[in-house]
Amino acid sequence: MNPGQPPKLSLPGVKNIIAVASGKGGVGKSTVAANLAMALHMSGKSVGLMDADIYGPSVPIMFGLGLVDSKATAFPLEKFGIRLMSMGFLVGTDQAIIWRGPKVAQAVQSFLGQIDWGTLDYLIIDLPPGTGDAQLTLSQSAPLTGAVVVTTPGEVSLIDARKGVKMFREVRVPILGIVENMSYFMDATGTKTPIFGVGGGLKLALESNCPFLGELPIDPRVAACGDAGEPIVRKYPDAPISKAYVVLAETVAAAATAAQSESLPGVQL
Amino acid sequence: MAGELRPKSLKRVGDGLQIEWSDGLTTFTAWRLLRKQCPCATCVEERAKPPDPFRVLTPQEATAGAPSPVAMQPIGHYAYQITWNDGHNTGIYPLARLRELGEAAKG
Repeated sequence: MNPGQPPKLSLPGVKNIIAVASGKGGVGKSTVAANLAMALHMSGKSVGLMDADIYGPSVPIMFGLGLVDSKATAFPLEKFGIRLMSMGFLVGTDQAIIWRGPKVAQAVQSFLGQIDWGTLDYLIIDLPPGTGDAQLTLSQSAPLTGAVVVTTPGEVSLIDARKGVKMFREVRVPILGIVENMSYFMDATGTKTPIFGVGGGLKLALESNCPFLGELPIDPRVAACGDAGEPIVRKYPDAPISKAYVVLAETVAAAATAAQSESLPGVQL
Repeated sequence: MAGELRPKSLKRVGDGLQIEWSDGLTTFTAWRLLRKQCPCATCVEERAKPPDPFRVLTPQEATAGAPSPVAMQPIGHYAYQITWNDGHNTGIYPLARLRELGEAAKG
């Protein structure tokens, strides 16, 4: 594949392709992507999750998977009913991927176009932080339904989340909305304590004229579940955060249905 | 993205590109201008340099004649990529740029 000529990938069996992005690293994109995918599946939908973070793939550990024999394995893998693809299945955790941009673009295109995703209601794409090769490749090659932008409440995160929003606006990918992660810690009495600031997600949504999709609380079990390989939505479905993910999934599904945008017309030469 | 300016139709008319836009405006931009204003990084850099009278043309460039597209395809929701008869194909023209060039040609 020549990254100078982004191939147009049609993925006819996939009804909605939703990118989960941020701009900032460490806000919980992969956790949000994994649990959003899980919540959508638990609502009865067929779901895939593609890990577009080539340098730092998180999907394998979050689903209790790891390196596989790529010659003997059919991709995508499946766990908890979700179809999965990640660089982490191809390269061990002890190896660094030291690639320039064109190779990253090629890998992302391969994951989209050369993996048989089959028929899916939703393909969730976990993007790496930033506004670079992976994001551009997807915007050019994939029929994205829209993007969910994740931020934490503080201004440090908002600065980069705004860049993510601007990027999607430049490439005309609909923004389904803003999700604020790690909004507060709620103790056993129900008292909410903000740890990373207050209101940043709503502020970004208002200034960008995007929907605000909601808040996700801090729950120490989220990280534990991520490390243990089972998304919290599945492991602890009655936890407040799991219920928040269920609501998020419903909201994202509705936004995706409303966002079906027209393709650009062909050219008569 | 309701209300966003978008092309309704694009077609070759004579030696240029005619675009009907969603706000009712129709623009016409000569292929020669589009080729000259290729937005790829290489062309942008070349335009910033003084012209090189000793640049050796490739055989394809030498035989191409007047600039003309051999293919033009949508890229995502935001741009078109043109493959030219001189072999050049790395230019991705965002809609805003196509509109800008069309309006400049009109003016």
